[in-house]
Amino acid sequence: MADYGRNSVVPAGRVAALATVIAIVLVLYVGRLVDVQIVDQVLYSARARAVSQRAVPVFAERGLIYDRNYNAPLAANQESFAVTVIPAELPAEERDQVFTSISRATGVPVEDIRSRLPDSRGAVYQAIEVVNGVTLETITRLAERKDELPGVSWYSKPRRVYTEGDLFANVIGYVGDITPEELQVLFNEGYEANAVVGKNGIEQEYDALLRGQAGQRNRTVDARGMRVDDSEEVIPPEHGLNLVLTVDRDLQRLAADALGERIGSVVVLKPATGEILALVSYPRYDANIFLDANGREQFEELALDPRSPFLNRPIQAVAAPASTFKIVMTAAVLEERAFPRAQEVHCEGSIQVGNRTFNCWLPYGHGHVDLNNALAQSCNVYFWTVGSEYLGVNAVIDYCARLGLGQVTGIDLPGEVAGLVPSPEWKEQVYSTRWVGGDTVNMSIGEGFLQVTPLQMASLVATIVNDGTTYRPYVLAEVRDPVTGRVLRRVEPEVVRNADISVDTLRGVREAMRTVITDGTAEVVITTPAVPMAGKTGTGQTGREDHLTSWFVAYAPHGEDVGIEDQIVLVVKVDAANEWEWWAPKAANIIVHGYFEGLDFEQTVADLRQAPKPLWYM
Amino acid sequence: MERTRTVFELDISVIGATIALAVIGILFVYSSGVASDGQVVSREYVRQIVWVGTGIILMIAVTFTDYRIFDGLAIWIYAAALLVLVFTLAFGRVVNGARSWIGVGSFGVQPSEFAKVATIMALARYYRGAGERRTTLIGFLSGGAITALPMVLVLAQPDLGTALVYIPIFLVTAFAAGTRIRYVVFVIVLGTLTTLSMAVPVWQEALFGKTQPWVAVMTDVAVMRFFLIGVGAALAIALAATVFLSRRVFYWVSYLLVLVGASLPVGYLARSVLQDYQVMRLIVFLDPYVDPRGAGWNIIQSVTAVGSGGPFGKGYLRGTQSHYRYLPQQSTDFIFSIIAEEWGFLGSTVLFVLIGVIVYRGIAIMARAKDHFAAFCAAGIVGMIFFHAVVNIGMAVGIMPITGIPLLLVSYGGSSLWTAMFAIGVLLSIHQHRYQY
Repeated sequence: MADYGRNSVVPAGRVAALATVIAIVLVLYVGRLVDVQIVDQVLYSARARAVSQRAVPVFAERGLIYDRNYNAPLAANQESFAVTVIPAELPAEERDQVFTSISRATGVPVEDIRSRLPDSRGAVYQAIEVVNGVTLETITRLAERKDELPGVSWYSKPRRVYTEGDLFANVIGYVGDITPEELQVLFNEGYEANAVVGKNGIEQEYDALLRGQAGQRNRTVDARGMRVDDSEEVIPPEHGLNLVLTVDRDLQRLAADALGERIGSVVVLKPATGEILALVSYPRYDANIFLDANGREQFEELALDPRSPFLNRPIQAVAAPASTFKIVMTAAVLEERAFPRAQEVHCEGSIQVGNRTFNCWLPYGHGHVDLNNALAQSCNVYFWTVGSEYLGVNAVIDYCARLGLGQVTGIDLPGEVAGLVPSPEWKEQVYSTRWVGGDTVNMSIGEGFLQVTPLQMASLVATIVNDGTTYRPYVLAEVRDPVTGRVLRRVEPEVVRNADISVDTLRGVREAMRTVITDGTAEVVITTPAVPMAGKTGTGQTGREDHLTSWFVAYAPHGEDVGIEDQIVLVVKVDAANEWEWWAPKAANIIVHGYFEGLDFEQTVADLRQAPKPLWYM
Repeated sequence: MERTRTVFELDISVIGATIALAVIGILFVYSSGVASDGQVVSREYVRQIVWVGTGIILMIAVTFTDYRIFDGLAIWIYAAALLVLVFTLAFGRVVNGARSWIGVGSFGVQPSEFAKVATIMALARYYRGAGERRTTLIGFLSGGAITALPMVLVLAQPDLGTALVYIPIFLVTAFAAGTRIRYVVFVIVLGTLTTLSMAVPVWQEALFGKTQPWVAVMTDVAVMRFFLIGVGAALAIALAATVFLSRRVFYWVSYLLVLVGASLPVGYLARSVLQDYQVMRLIVFLDPYVDPRGAGWNIIQSVTAVGSGGPFGKGYLRGTQSHYRYLPQQSTDFIFSIIAEEWGFLGSTVLFVLIGVIVYRGIAIMARAKDHFAAFCAAGIVGMIFFHAVVNIGMAVGIMPITGIPLLLVSYGGSSLWTAMFAIGVLLSIHQHRYQY
C-alpha cells in the first residue's frame, strides 16, 4: 500500500518523474519568492510607496484688477473646477462612453472634449483638462459615477469673472488655457500645461504679475486617482498680485453709453500724467461667456464677426485724422512763422493744384479767413494754401513726428499700432511714384496716406495742453499685495518726448481750438455749460457720401488759469461704418458734461436738456 | 472490502488543504474588496463564501459517489461539454473581451472551466479502453484530438489562458497512460519553439538591443520558405537514412528537423492571429518598463506588491498596493499578489505547501489507483491543478507572461471553484474507493 507503483497502473518510474518535475518547479518558485520578497524587498517597498503619490496642482488665485477707485474689482475669481482626463488610464474602447458622460454632465460638446486630448497613441499619464469652469454641482454629479469614468478626475481651478461684463473687455482682455504654441514660447518662464494665461489686454500685458505661482498637493492615491487617506503634503500657491488701473469705472460707462452702439472709440486721458481714464471700443465682447459650455463656439462666432469685436479700436484702428490734423498744421504755421497769424487767405470754395481741383467743404467758400478762423471753420483752402505754398511737406512731417504721429504711444496694452506718416521717400518706396503737390495738399488737411489711432490723437492734444511735454499713456497705476493691500509699486508718469514748440505757439493753438467751440464748426453741438471746452472736429472722407468718419478731439476745461491737473483730453471717433450723424462731437459734449458734473449718461442727457443752450440732438 | 471503514479512510490531508486554500481565498477576496479607508467596496467575498460552501458539499458528494459511474458517463459528459461550449460561442455573454459566459441575469457560469474536467474524464475513458494503443502514436494523437476539440472551442472565445490549460492536462494524462516520452517531449519542445519563433521577432530589441538579420527567418515568408525547403530536403535525407541505414541517430535528426520545420510556420501563424495587446504582453514580459502605464502595469504592480510584502508581510488588510487599487483583477488573476503582500514570504510558502499537499496526495492517489480510469483521471486532475498554480503564481511574480487564469480554490469565481472542488472530489472518490473492485 505504501509502495507506490507496485501493482499499479502507472509505472513507478513515471510517478517518480512526475513528482520530481513538480518538485523542481516548486523549488524554482520558492527561489523566485526569496529573490523578490527577501533579497529585493527594500527596493520594492520603496517603489510601492513612490508609485502611490500623485501631485495635484493647487492653482494660484489670479490677481484682482481694480479701477482707479480701488473699491470693487473689475476682474475677480470664482470658485470653479476643471475636469481632467489621464489618457493612459482611459481604455480606448471606453473613451466614447466616458466623453459622452462628461459632455452630458457639463453641457460641453463631445467634439470639444475629444479635441483637447493629444493625438499621440503613446501612454500619456499627465492629467489633461477637458472642461473648464465647471460648477461644484456638476462635479458632484460626476463624482457619483466615478467608477464608470476611468481616468477622469478634477481639481479646483478658479474661474475668472469680469464684473462689468463687456465694458472693460478691450482694456482688461481675458484669460484662457495656454495653447501648445504659447507653452513653447513661455515654458522657460515657468508656465506649465494646464496653465491659465492672459490672452489680451491687461491680462496679457501683466500676466507675470497676475498669475502667481501654482502650488502642489501631493496625495496618496489609488490607481484610479481616488484619494485614499488624509495625509497630504501641500506646497501652497503664491497668489497673483492685484492691479489697480488708471481707468475710472463711471467715466468708462458714461463714455460707452455716450458712444452707444456705434462702431468707434473713445479715449479720455489726463494730460498731466498720461493716465488713461477711459478707453472705449465698440463693438465689444463679454469674456465671461468664453467659459460657458458653448464658449468655444461663441468665441469663434465673435472672431468671425465682420465688425471685429476683438479689435481694440482706440489703439488698433487707424484712420485718416481728417480735419483734426489742422491742429498740427496750426502749430507748425505758428511755430515756423510760415504765414502770419492774422493774414487772411481768400477761400472761394476750391483751389487748383496742378491739374487737379480741390474743393473746400463749404461749396461757396469761407471768404477771407485768418488762422484762427481757418481752424474754427475748418477751412481746407487755407491749410492747402499754407501747407503746400508756405510750409512744405517736410515741415508737416517734422511736426507730425514732434507730436507723436507715426509712432506708438507706448501704452501698456498689447497690439498698439503706429499708424502712418507718409513722406516722399516712403511713397517712392511703396508706390514707386513721385510725391506730388496734391499729396502735400491732401496731407495738409489730414487726408491721403496719413493714418492715426484715436490714442495718438489724444496724446497729441495732451501734448498741446501740456506745453509740449508728452507723457506715455498708461493704464496700470499700482501693483498691490493681494493679502495686505499694500502698494508694492506705483507707476510714475513717464515723459517720452518734448515737442520743442514754444509756449506761445501752443497757447495760440489752444486759443484757436477754443474758437472752434465758441465760433466754429462745433458751436452748435457743444452745449455743456459745465466747463469751457476746446477742440477740433474732423470728418474723414471715405469715398461714400453717406459714410464718413467722425472725429472730435478736445480738452476741458479750457483756460490759461486752469491747472493742468484738472484737465482732461478727450478723443471720440465714430467709424465710417456707421450712418453719418456727426456723432463724435455730440458724444464728447455728453461725456465732458457728465464727467465734470458727476452724472451718469441718463442724468447728463436730462441735465443738458435743461441747459441754457438745450440739447437738441437727443 | 468492508464498506463500514470508508469514512475513516478519507484523505484528511487533501480535504484539509482544500478547505484551507478555500478559506484563504475567502479572506483575500474580502481583502481585495477593501478600499484603503477600510470601506468594503466589493461584496465578492459574500458570493465566494456561498460558492465555497456549496463547493465543499459538491466535493463531499462526489467523494462518496463511486467514481466508476463517471467512467460510464465520460463520453456523455464530454459530448455535453462540447455542446455547451458551442452554445457559449453562439449565445454566450462577453466578459473581458471573451464570449465565455452563459447564464441568466446575474448568475452565470464559465463552461470552459467545467469542460476541463469533462475532458479529463474523456481522456481517462479513452486511454482506459485503448489497451496497447496507449503507447503508440495513434493513441497519442487520438488523445490529442480529444483535447483539441474543446481547446479550439475555448480558443475561439477567445480565451487563450484557459485554452492553454488543456495542454498540460493532456500531456500529464498521456504520460500517465504510458505514451512514449518522445511524444510528450515533442509537444513541449514544439510549444517552446513555437512560442520562441513567435516571440523573438517582438523580443529582439529587448534581447539584443537591435534588430537581428536572422530573425527574418521568422518574419519574412520568402526567407522562411527558403529555409523550410532546406529543412524539408534534410528531413527527406534523414528519413531515408533512418529507413535504409537503421541508425537511431537519423531518427532523432528527423525528429529535430520536424520540430524546427513545424515551429516556424506555426509561430508565424500564431503571431499573425495574436491581438496587439497579446503581443504587448509578450514584450512587457521581458521588460515591463517598456510600457509602465499600459501593458507593463500589471506586472510592475504585482511584482511590487509581492516584493514589498517582505518576509512576513504587511499584515492582513494592510497591503498598500491592493487597497490603493493599484492591482488589477486583484480577486481573480492577481490574488496571489495580495496574499504575498499581506502575508509575505511566510504566507506564500504556506500557500505552496497547501498546493503541494494536494498535488502530491493526488500523485499518490494516482499511483495507488487500481484501475486505469481512476489513475488517468487523477493524473489529469493533478496536471490541471498544478498548471493553474504555476501559471497564476508565475505571472504574479513576473516569471510567466500574463495569460489570466485563476489560482484554483483561491481566486474569486464560482465556475473555477466548483470545477476545482469537483475535481478534488473525484480524487477523493478514487482514494475512497481504491479497495473496491
